Parts: sequence; structure tokens; C-alpha cells
Amino acid sequence: MSAATLETKRDEGHIDAARGRLRAPVPGGAAVAALLSAMLGMLTLAVVNVFTAASPAFNTWAHGIGKLWMPGADGIGPYSGKETLSLAAWLGSWIVLHLTIGRRDFEVSRWLIVFLIGVGIATTLIWPPVFEALAGH
Amino acid sequence: MRSDGELQEMREASTASLAAVVGILIGAALAFTAATAPINKLLGSGAAALPAALHGLTAFLYLFVGTIGLYLGWRLMTGRIRAFADLQLLSTVSATLSFLAIVAGNWLYIYYRANTPESPRSSFLKTMPEVHRVFFEFKEFAALFTLPLTVAAAFILWHYGGQVVERRWLRYSVAVLLGLSFFYLVVAFGLGAAVTKLRPA
Repeated sequence: MSAATLETKRDEGHIDAARGRLRAPVPGGAAVAALLSAMLGMLTLAVVNVFTAASPAFNTWAHGIGKLWMPGADGIGPYSGKETLSLAAWLGSWIVLHLTIGRRDFEVSRWLIVFLIGVGIATTLIWPPVFEALAGH
Repeated sequence: MRSDGELQEMREASTASLAAVVGILIGAALAFTAATAPINKLLGSGAAALPAALHGLTAFLYLFVGTIGLYLGWRLMTGRIRAFADLQLLSTVSATLSFLAIVAGNWLYIYYRANTPESPRSSFLKTMPEVHRVFFEFKEFAALFTLPLTVAAAFILWHYGGQVVERRWLRYSVAVLLGLSFFYLVVAFGLGAAVTKLRPA
């Protein structure tokens, strides 16, 4: 990029953008890891919720998970465990994915579609008439 | 051509001025409120007054920031963004406010679902069960979705920096993340406001 072009971009307020172009391309794997881990966290919340609705024993177990660390978990109930498991799935999978694929050159386009499908499923599963039906109520 | 130090100074000035504007606006609002309202009555008298105020405050702030983030996300998606550094900052603020709103929401939830006949949950289950079983249940999960989405958007914007502007699918990814987080925010905010109007905690 020529100095003149760079100067113009800066004047337009593209300071970070100009800086970014000066760096070597960052592999797409890091973005894919961030997208997929967010999706896995959302799916975990949705699936765990279906199982807590279906099984009182699982519901009690999920509450126990929340009570392990969350302040006020007694009052919050099983929701604390659902949050905990979702958080663990999101952050845990992000660490694993970032370390394994973060430096690889993935096509973001393909994985963005996978992400959207996963988010669509998670959203459908948290709609109460759907998860209540799946839980057999 | 300007030095990197000068560029840094320009960017910091932009962030500092934005923070100053936000600080002045919040300060002005607090000053007017303090001058015109009985402070001891502001939060209300119930046990849930403080968590309710904090949850409402953080959710409101998140709605403001999220709206601007949605607009900048659209500008990014179309490749016409000029305020890229502002979007980086806004996405980080959005993620922080999402987290704070969830924490305050957890605190408030204790009072909402208290095992007493007067708690909102008990009241809804007795008189309008669908309000709790459909709307509140959906809202409490949708609200949680905002955190991973905003954090992922902020991560991509900071990790890739200006390369996001150059790479079409990174632009789309960030715009989708911000758009989805705004959707879940509006769902949670709207249903939360409706539930609170029907039966405050």
C-alpha cells in the first residue's frame, strides 16, 4: 500500500484498519473458534434445559453444579447450573478450539453458516412450547 | 506521513473524548435527579429494589450501546465503516454490559422466584401461568445468549484489527454476531419490561 493511500485512510478515521493491513494476515481459524465456541455454549444451554425439563433427577444435578460456585445459587435454582454448564462449554471449547485451529487458515464463510444453523437450533430449543414438548410435558 | 505515536494519540483522543461525553451525560443525569427527586425513594422500598435498579440500569445502557453497535455493524458489513476504532470499543462495552446485566439479573431472579405467595413467579403461576412459562422462560435464556455473541464480536474485532475491514467474511461474521446479540437483547429487554410492568419483584 502506498504512503499516500495510507494517509488518506487515516484521515478518514481508518486508523486501526490501516494498521491491520500492515500486519501479516491473521489465519481465519481464530474467528472460527470464537464462532463455534459461542454456538456450543448456546446449544449447551438449550440442550441442558431440555433435559432439566424432562428429568427431575437431572434438574437436581444441574442445580448442584450451580451451587458449587455461584453466589445465591440456592435462590436462583437450577438456572444457576444451566448457566454454569453453558459457560463451561463456551469457554472450555473456545480454549480447545483456539489452541487447535486458531493458527490454521479456515474458511470463515463455511463455518459462519454452521454457526447460524447451530444458533437457529439453540433458539428453537429455548422456546418454551418446544422444549416442553420435547421433555414430554 | 504521521508517526505511529501520533496515530496512537489520535485514537486515544477519540476514546477519551467518547468516555468524557458519556461521563458528562451520566453525571448531568445524576445531578438533575439528585436535585429534583427524593433520593431515598428512588430505588423503591422492596427487598429487590437494588438488584432491580442495577439490572434495569445495565440493561438500558446495553440497549443504547447495542443500538449504536448494530448500526456500526451494518456499516461494517457493507464495507463503509469509518469509525472502526469506535466499533472495537463499543463491542467491548456491549460485552461488559451484557455480563453486568446478567449478573444483576441473577441477583434479581432470586427475588422473582422466591418461594413465597407474593413473589412474581408465584403470582404469575397462580393467575397468568403463560407469562412465566412462556415469556419469562424464553427471556431468561435469550438474555444469556447475548454474552457469547458480544464477546465473540469483540474478540474478532480486536484480534484481527483492521483486517476485518478488508476481509469480507470477517465483516459479515462480526455484523451477524452484533445483529444476533441485538435481537436477543431486544427480546430479553422487551419481555423483561413487560413482566416487570405486570408484577414488579
